[in-house]
Amino acid sequence: MPELPIWQFDTLFLIAVVLFGITALAMQNLMSAAIVFGAYSFLMCLIWTGMGAVDVAFTEAAVGAGVSTVFIVATIYNTGVSAKPKHPRVGFKLFAGVIAVATGALLLSALPDFPAWGDPQSPVNATVAPYYIENTIEDARVPNIVTTVLADYRGFDTLLETAVVFIACIAIYSILRVDSAKATVDEPDIIASPPAYDPTDSLIIRQASRIMVPFMQIFALYVIAHGHYSPGGGFQGGVILGASVILLCISFDLKFVLRQWTEKKIMLLTALGVLIYAAVGVACMFMGGDYLNYNALDPVLPGDMAYARYYGILLVEIGVGVTVMFSMIGIYMILASNGRFKRGL
Amino acid sequence: MLLVLVRVIKGPTVIDRLVAVNVIGTKSIVLLLFSGIIFGQLDMFVDIALGYGLLNFIVSIAASRYYQHRRSLEQKGQPS
Repeated sequence: MPELPIWQFDTLFLIAVVLFGITALAMQNLMSAAIVFGAYSFLMCLIWTGMGAVDVAFTEAAVGAGVSTVFIVATIYNTGVSAKPKHPRVGFKLFAGVIAVATGALLLSALPDFPAWGDPQSPVNATVAPYYIENTIEDARVPNIVTTVLADYRGFDTLLETAVVFIACIAIYSILRVDSAKATVDEPDIIASPPAYDPTDSLIIRQASRIMVPFMQIFALYVIAHGHYSPGGGFQGGVILGASVILLCISFDLKFVLRQWTEKKIMLLTALGVLIYAAVGVACMFMGGDYLNYNALDPVLPGDMAYARYYGILLVEIGVGVTVMFSMIGIYMILASNGRFKRGL
Repeated sequence: MLLVLVRVIKGPTVIDRLVAVNVIGTKSIVLLLFSGIIFGQLDMFVDIALGYGLLNFIVSIAASRYYQHRRSLEQKGQPS
C-alpha cells in the first residue's frame, strides 16, 4: 500500500470535531446544539474509517448520527428549545474548572505509557490479536474477525451489552412513563393540544418514506445476516430496523404506528431479544458444552463443527438485533409522546 | 467542506445549520467511498455509505416536523 496522507486528514478532522464540540456546548439554542452534535458524529465516523475500524464507523453512523439526534429532537419537542443559563457563583465555577483540568491532566499523564499508534509490539497486537487473526476462519468460518470476536470469543461481553441496552430501555420507561388514566389533567402540557396541521402538506414525505421503509428494512436484515462477511451485525442492523419504524412515526403519526406496535408488544419483544441470546447459551449447556460455547450445538445444526459456531453467531446476532430494534422504538416513543404513548412528534 | 463547516459553526439560524449538516452528511458519503477506494475494499465501504445515506435524512425530517408542530402551536397562542 502506498504512503497515504492519512494523518493529515485525521488532524484536520480532529480539529473540526473539537471545534464542533465547543460550538455545541456554547450554544443557547438546544436545537442547533443537537444538530451540531449530528455533524460531530459524521466527522467521528470519518475518523474511524480513516483508522480502518469499519465496524465502529458503522455503529457511529447508525447510532450517533442517525438515532440519537432524533432522540434529542424528540426530547426538545417536549421540553422547550432554549437553555436557561444558570449563573452559579464564581467559587463553584472555579471548583468545577479545577476538577475538570485535574482530571484532564491525570488522563494526559497516562498518555506516555500507551504504546505508539499501530505499534506491532504493543501487548494487544503482539499477544491477543494474532490468535484471532490466525484462528477465526478455522474456528468459525467467519471472515469478519470483528464479528467473531464480538459474538463468539467475547460472547459474554456482548450478552451483557445487550442486557445493558435492555436495562436502559426499562429505566427510561420506568422514569418517563405516565399512566394516562392517573395523570393530572390540569398539568400544562404541550402534547395536550394536537397540532392542527394539514395532512396533505407532508404528502411528499409520506410517499417517500412509504417507499424508503421497506428498503431500509431489507438493508437492515442484510446487515444483520451479512455481518459475518462485511461490517455490521446485530447492533447496527437493529438500529437501522428501529430507525425505519421511527421514520414511520415521524412521517405519518405516532398513533399510526401504535396501531400496529402497541407498547406491550414492544416491551415484550425487547425482552425477547435478550432471551434469544441467553437461550442460545443455555442450549449450549444442555447439549453438554460451556455457556455460549457454540461447538456444543453441532448435532442440531447443519455443516461440520466449525459451522456450528457460524450459526451460533448468527442466532446471537438476531437476538441482539431484536433487542436493539425494539428498545430504539420504545425509547423514541416514550420520549416523543412525553411518556403517554398517545401522540407525539 | 470547509465552507460548510463555517456555516455550521457560525450559521445565524438553526435552519442554516440543518442544511449545512445535511451537506456534510452527503459529503461524508462521498469521502467514505473514496477511502474505500484507497483501502482497496470498496464493497465494505459501500455498506457503510448506504447505511449513512439511509439514516442521514431522518434527522432533517425529525427537525422539520418539530418546526411544523411548533409553528402550529404558536399560532394557537400557546407559550412554547
